[in-house]
Amino acid sequence: MVAQPAHTPAPSPVDSDNARILVVDDLRSSRMLIGSVLKSAGFSNIDYAGDGIEALERFEAHEPDIILLDIVMPRMDGFEVSDAIRNRFKSDVPILVQSGVQEAEQRVRAFDMGATDLVSKPINAGELISRLRLHIERRRLIARLQRYQKRMEEELHSAEGMQMSLMKEGPEVDAITQPRQARMETFYRPSYKLGGDLWDVFEIDEHRFGVLMVDLSGHGVSAAINAFRLHMLAERSEADATDPGQWLARLSDELYEILPIEHFATAFYGVFDTRDLSLTFAGAGAPTPVLRRANGNVEHLDASGLIMGCRSNGHYENQRLILQPGDRLCLYSDALYENFDTPDGALSVEELSALIVATMEADAEDGFTIDLIKRVFGSVPESFPDDLTILMLEVLPA
Amino acid sequence: MDYKIDQGGDALKVYISGVLTFDDHERFKSVVKAISDSTSATAEIDLTETKMIDSAGIGMLLLANDRAKKAGKDVRLTGASGHVLKVIQLPKVDEIIPVAS
Repeated sequence: MVAQPAHTPAPSPVDSDNARILVVDDLRSSRMLIGSVLKSAGFSNIDYAGDGIEALERFEAHEPDIILLDIVMPRMDGFEVSDAIRNRFKSDVPILVQSGVQEAEQRVRAFDMGATDLVSKPINAGELISRLRLHIERRRLIARLQRYQKRMEEELHSAEGMQMSLMKEGPEVDAITQPRQARMETFYRPSYKLGGDLWDVFEIDEHRFGVLMVDLSGHGVSAAINAFRLHMLAERSEADATDPGQWLARLSDELYEILPIEHFATAFYGVFDTRDLSLTFAGAGAPTPVLRRANGNVEHLDASGLIMGCRSNGHYENQRLILQPGDRLCLYSDALYENFDTPDGALSVEELSALIVATMEADAEDGFTIDLIKRVFGSVPESFPDDLTILMLEVLPA
Repeated sequence: MDYKIDQGGDALKVYISGVLTFDDHERFKSVVKAISDSTSATAEIDLTETKMIDSAGIGMLLLANDRAKKAGKDVRLTGASGHVLKVIQLPKVDEIIPVAS
């Protein structure tokens, strides 16, 4: 059936549009009519098919930006074409189905088979052009967003790699701790690609090494940038990091200079000395470290203290402990006990400490950190609601 | 997070309920503005109905305090208990923003 579009005002030609349009109609006169409507509206890249089979051939040869599809055609009808494009070719190209107003059932079925929208048949030039433009614009917008999202994901992915490389791997850690009568197990997982947690182990001299764990406020990109900044500041002064309180105070002053007012960091920093098996440490609002002595006694260390980076000249108190071979110390970030879905479900220090001690005593094959995560979360979750770091330090026999 | 502002007495009172986290950043800006714009010399942020605060939430309180200070006002935190009190005490936020019981 050929329509006369004359009674509707022809859409005014605008800037030419090179969107690729595939017109599928078994009547040559219909194709020519539609083609001339499209051309007069500025579309210059038009392809034609005379039935369903030809439509799929044209589609495969060169995927169009939009398809204008007739339903009743010989060999293969429009429903089958639409179904093949969606399910066989997995394409989300917009499909505009030409349908008569009377054919209510057909219209519902068209949507079921993957149509994006309907245009009335006989063709109404104004409506056809408006709907085409709408769907072409929508598709361009989605394509732009997809390109943007892909680029962002690639950038985040490469930044994630950079951030992971700030944290030492097992053999590097062993090379520092084992000559100094200790071993460490570590776990770090950002909540979303980039995170604001940071840990480090570094040698100070032949007898001593430092253990640093930091949690930058917030999470995501801004927290990660702050973690990079802090890592740089810390690395610059590792050699002077023998006095934990002074060192944290100095880092805090440096952070105060560069961080926005609402950003800050919590931290634990300790120096282990093999000469007397002492651990000297200072806290800046870090979660309570749990120490299980070789004899089974459990101690909760005090890592409270002014958060870093929110004022100058903060004071950080040093504390000192003498450890024994077999003593194990666990440090962790707040993601291990906080629960934002059910705030009352957050673990208390006592509850978490009991889990930590049980994990230390179980000595599971998975290793300490994975076993602890299983005990706290029930399994190892795909992702955590916040950045999670767990460090476990054990003093070895001489 | 939800908040209610009461300008009735000598001090401006801001009641924060629910959880104060990263996601409340935009909403909390209106709290900061209300405190800066207020005619009272003191603003009380009441945390009685606050269930939980994360590090970004602490950051927002620091921001409110900083803006108030710059406008010549004082901020104090009231009503914190349980987890919220711990989140404020452990990092010694009370050394920066006064906490009244």
